[in-house]
Amino acid sequence: MLRSFGALCLSLLGLAALTQAGSSSGNSVLVVLQPSLKRDAFSLFFDGLEKKGYSLTFRAPKDDTPVIIEHDVPLFDHIILFAPDTKSFAKDISPQALVNVLNHKTNLLIALSPKQTPLSLLAAEFSLILPPPGMPLLSHFPPRDTAPTVIPITVPADNAVLTPGTPPVWFSGVPQALGANPLLVPLLRAPPESFAADTDKDAGAEAVVDAAEKGGEGLWAGSALGVVTGFQTRDSARVVWAGGVELFGDEFAKKEIEKGVKSGNTQFALDTAAWAFQENLVLRIDKTGHHLANETTPREHYTINDLIVYDIAISKYNAAEDAWAPYSGLTDLQLDFTMLDPHVRTALVPVAGAPGIYSATFRAPDRHGVFKFVVDYKRRGWTFLHSSTTVPVIPPRHDGYPRFLSAAWPYYAGAISTSVGFLLFSALWLAGDDRETKKTKKTE
Amino acid sequence: MGPLSLLLLPLAAALAVNAGQLSIQSPRFTVLSSDGNQLRTEQISLSKKAKEPVTLGPTDSLKLTFQVKEEGGEGVQPHQTFLRFYDETTGEEGIQPVKVTASGKAKFDFNMARPPASLPPSGAAPLKVSLILGSFVHTPATVELFDLVVPPSLSAVHPDEQTFHPLPEIQHTFRPEQKVPPKAVSAVFTGIVLSPWLVLIGLWGYLQPRVPHLFSLSILPFTVSLGALEALLLWYWVELRLGQILLYGAGAAFVAAVTGKQALVSIGEHRTGRK
Amino acid sequence: MAGPKATAPVKGTSSSTSSSSSPSAVQTLWKAYLDHTAPRLKFIDSFLTFLVLSGVLQFVYCVLVTSFPFNAFLSGFASTVGQFVLTASLRSQVNSENRTLFKDVSPERAFADFVIGSVVLHFFVFNFLG
Repeated sequence: MLRSFGALCLSLLGLAALTQAGSSSGNSVLVVLQPSLKRDAFSLFFDGLEKKGYSLTFRAPKDDTPVIIEHDVPLFDHIILFAPDTKSFAKDISPQALVNVLNHKTNLLIALSPKQTPLSLLAAEFSLILPPPGMPLLSHFPPRDTAPTVIPITVPADNAVLTPGTPPVWFSGVPQALGANPLLVPLLRAPPESFAADTDKDAGAEAVVDAAEKGGEGLWAGSALGVVTGFQTRDSARVVWAGGVELFGDEFAKKEIEKGVKSGNTQFALDTAAWAFQENLVLRIDKTGHHLANETTPREHYTINDLIVYDIAISKYNAAEDAWAPYSGLTDLQLDFTMLDPHVRTALVPVAGAPGIYSATFRAPDRHGVFKFVVDYKRRGWTFLHSSTTVPVIPPRHDGYPRFLSAAWPYYAGAISTSVGFLLFSALWLAGDDRETKKTKKTE
Repeated sequence: MGPLSLLLLPLAAALAVNAGQLSIQSPRFTVLSSDGNQLRTEQISLSKKAKEPVTLGPTDSLKLTFQVKEEGGEGVQPHQTFLRFYDETTGEEGIQPVKVTASGKAKFDFNMARPPASLPPSGAAPLKVSLILGSFVHTPATVELFDLVVPPSLSAVHPDEQTFHPLPEIQHTFRPEQKVPPKAVSAVFTGIVLSPWLVLIGLWGYLQPRVPHLFSLSILPFTVSLGALEALLLWYWVELRLGQILLYGAGAAFVAAVTGKQALVSIGEHRTGRK
Repeated sequence: MAGPKATAPVKGTSSSTSSSSSPSAVQTLWKAYLDHTAPRLKFIDSFLTFLVLSGVLQFVYCVLVTSFPFNAFLSGFASTVGQFVLTASLRSQVNSENRTLFKDVSPERAFADFVIGSVVLHFFVFNFLG
């Protein structure tokens, strides 16, 4: 019922003036909202999502329906889990089930809290190391009227996911220490002066130092920590782990950073959701092709030392128009021509005048065998592109070698002169006189 | 988290009224070598940074002492007394908490032979060392101390990390092209290889064999068809394919066989019959 | 075979001009050859000499300059060697002094074999010559 209401909303909004169309992988979102959090407390965020065209379905963690996955088919394209304090979920939302839907290309947006829940245990599987339970992030800087656990954080200006110029955001929650996993995409890091602590008085200083010396990870402190971190699986499904759920709430969105400056929480929350739900930084390969340098159709096989041209067409999803458009902005796309090991690695450069097409020209190595054109493009935050085309490379056929070389002129002369000599000899022999007289001696 | 922050809100507001600014007094660092000799010791000036960065060798140790106090007041023990090591070029950072006594006296030392876990991986750029003082009741402060140069160390990198950046280009080294001698040399040797013709013509000229039947009708067709066979072979060398040469060759060979039989019979008669 | 040295004017009269005081073995052999060989056979021998020279010179080129299209060298060289073998066997078979050895082979038959063998040899030579 809620889904049909969502569909109605969608069609009505579609009739309205220019709306931001939704994600490249579907618009149905399941929001798992714990009972202590009310939908109205997040109205700015959810309304923003609906304006973009998503249809939201709400459910409590302990509800039986709607399930997230049924008969190995996920029922929703994206899932938001705003259940940071819930210790027990319904049977279908288990950490294994969440990983399973991720493998089926469903994207997730998960909020954590200083409490230990099944979700915080799941975070460890994504190379995020959380502090012990009950240790929220706090910062004494900048001096402010709000509690130390409510921290204003500057949004980085050079992150491809976030809108530049977003004002600082209010954050309250738990920091994450990031492992060395290259699949992590840090979106927001903790301020350098912040740290995780469970004390609320100056007298707790000793406890802070002791905690640092005791635990294996030491102290959760500084800008090496993330507070909102993304993770892109190898299939390019995306998860965003947020250290606290208040980041998305109306209270923080309406709080002013300083006099007259509104916080950037709404913008940040929608940007994060846009990345998580495959709206931006989404690429795909449209087609690949290869041919000899002065031909246009591909061949079944190539000969060694051939000049081969490989091209690839890449599109980027444009959320504003809900369409894929050719994209020539990749500057470091590379092609590998490999047989067990890469023999050739060149850059694929965009072709001027053909949007979205990149091409590379190279000479096939002088080893024959079965080669592969491999394009394996992995960059933080962007969809992973992978394409592999197999092509045999054969040595020249018996009549593919160069002939009539200048170095062989004497040999040609020798062979031809033998033939001519034979002809002349035969002619003279046949014409000759061979009487059976043994004693003729010609001495002149 | 909500209720806790709400609780702290009025408390912090109340205490903020009579909070003083935190600062440090008599900060001093000492660099000791592995056998205890003092290599360098200095008071840290808060108004201007030391011109020279503090350099530590692989076995040196650094000792830092200072006292935390409220400005214009006495020593305090703040909630947060952290040393921050920061590399501006790579963004690597390490945070080290410092133990402070109740009267605000703080001491921290470490030995490069067993560096603390908080020392971040460093490269060529010096680490900026600063002190972060935070408190629930006093106004917090950050104090820049000095630049630190330590032996370089590597950060732990995931083995797949390099595939997330452009990889170095690979060019295939081809076998060197066959060296071809200059055409003039080949031409000269072609002439040399053809020079035995002079010898042949000379010898035959000297011998002067009698060739009375050269153009007789029984001999000439065979000679011509032999010539045609050789011409066919030359054509094959230049242009024809195997199937074609075998086809044409079979035809020409048949003609040659017929004319050849005729020619050889005629020669035989000359040799034996008409003596 | 003293090929290169046997230029035309020297032959024939050498036997009469060389003093009989010290006829070397080579000179005796040479004189015997000139006197006793049928002209038809000398005709064949000239061709054999030509083939040997041609082969040796191609070999010299291969060693001195380059063997690069090795298939071309093999073809050219093999054409001279093969032709030499065929011509030598023709010479043996038509030599009237070998009549007893080749009772069943008439000179015409020998020549026919020679022609067929030569044409096949040339076919393979031009096939491989490149």
